[in-house]
Amino acid sequence: MRYTSFTSYDVVLLAQGLGVSLALFLTTTVIGLLLGTIWAVIRFYRVPVLSPLIAVLAELLKNSPVLVQLFLVFFGLPALLKINVTPVEAALITLSGNTAAFIYVIAVSAIESIGRDQIESARVFGLSRWQVLRHIIAPQAMAFAIGPLTGLLVNQLQVTSLISVIGVVDLTKIGNILNLRTLKPFIVWTIVGALYYATAKLVAFGGATLEKRLRAHSAWKGL
Amino acid sequence: MIRARGVRKSFGSAAVLDGIDLDVHGSEVVSILGSSGSGKSTLIRCMNGLEKLDAGSITIDDFDVSLPKDLAEARKRSATVFQLFNLYPHMTALQNVTLAPIQVLKRSRAEAEATARSLLDSVGLGARADAYPAQLSGGQRQRVGICRALAMNPRYLLLDEITSALDPEMTAEVLSILAQLAKTGTTMVFVTHEIEFARTISSRIVFLDKGQLVVDLPTEEFFAAEGGMARPRISQFLSKMRKD
Ligand SMILES: Nc1ncnc2c1ncn2[C@@H]1O[C@H](COP(=O)(O)OP(=O)(O)O)[C@@H](O)[C@H]1O
Ligand SMILES: [Mg+2]
Repeated sequence: MRYTSFTSYDVVLLAQGLGVSLALFLTTTVIGLLLGTIWAVIRFYRVPVLSPLIAVLAELLKNSPVLVQLFLVFFGLPALLKINVTPVEAALITLSGNTAAFIYVIAVSAIESIGRDQIESARVFGLSRWQVLRHIIAPQAMAFAIGPLTGLLVNQLQVTSLISVIGVVDLTKIGNILNLRTLKPFIVWTIVGALYYATAKLVAFGGATLEKRLRAHSAWKGL
Repeated sequence: MIRARGVRKSFGSAAVLDGIDLDVHGSEVVSILGSSGSGKSTLIRCMNGLEKLDAGSITIDDFDVSLPKDLAEARKRSATVFQLFNLYPHMTALQNVTLAPIQVLKRSRAEAEATARSLLDSVGLGARADAYPAQLSGGQRQRVGICRALAMNPRYLLLDEITSALDPEMTAEVLSILAQLAKTGTTMVFVTHEIEFARTISSRIVFLDKGQLVVDLPTEEFFAAEGGMARPRISQFLSKMRKD
């Protein structure tokens, strides 16, 4: 067997790479969802100081390349603060922040889509701010946001491939390694691309299923 | 009782309420008449705490709506029915009615649902309990709105032109429910353009003009030739309303 042939161990490598990509994607999605939603709620209640601060932060995160943000966290932070940042930490911080910024935008418009009149009537009936958020705003905002959110997450999955440049051994990095060894770029990158594709389809399918469920009770949307 | 004293409210430089004094006692039905823009909705929104007063005070059973710690109690004692229904679109009729009793009054779900079902039944919507607002006609939505208010078992009902978005047939549906409520002694503050109906159910009529309460009379006196009708502003208003 020649040094450049594929081996069964390559499947394990690919699976490991995919696992790393997925783990980072899922972790940063969860953190991004939490952060972005909290930021949107802070904006909704016009919390002084924090609210404009978050708006500026989200603007910066949305309008600069993720790769630059990644370099800033991986090379810039250690230089500035004299701390050690591992590639995985840098990837987690950067991708979470970036996802949060876009989820913030979606959540803000989802919240704004809800009629002020219903919120007023819930308040008049004595519901607290928290109860209004929980029973009136959240369910409707979720049904509104799930479509754009799925689109965002499919995109953020692709963005994870950037972290390979700082040495995280994700699916793209494995592709690179296999490519260098086998010298068969067309085959390697087709397989890697197909794996991303399949994962993206899975995310889209999950989103569509959830959307159906969230709107199952909403004959009201159709009218 | 609901007591308003010297209530002032402006939006920008425009004085919308210009020193309102009004008492509404238990079991009274007080209708508020006045042309559009006279401040009727603003007065209701001050009573239920949706607008902050610039000056004066409103108390509901001595709970001051301007004090955060009193407002919750004031809101438990009064319930509002809105002109445009303001139902929660993602909830069924039943859920619309039970939300506040469960969350605010801490009723059990079973108890709240039983009450809600019997209220919906009483307004002819027993079979529509599981429909969403978008699946209901305007008149049906407003009946849900009334049930939502009644489910809080309020001492005072605040009603702001609750039939003005409805056609005559639906208006009749909704007004007949109010007529029944008035008979059972429910206290109501009733903003309306339905003059004839107001005349049949009100104990008092007040007339709001440019943010001032210019007349506050028992219903009979209000409509008497030598009473309210003696005032040009009111007879003008009434004849215009009757023409429309
Ligand atoms: N939130 C608001 N901002 C600015 N102007 C308002 C607001 N609410 C009401 N107004 C004005 O106050 C006046 C009285 O309004 P409103 O109380 O709705 O009258 P009515 O219910 O008697 O028709 C109107 O001129 C209206 O334009
Ligand atoms: Mg009005």
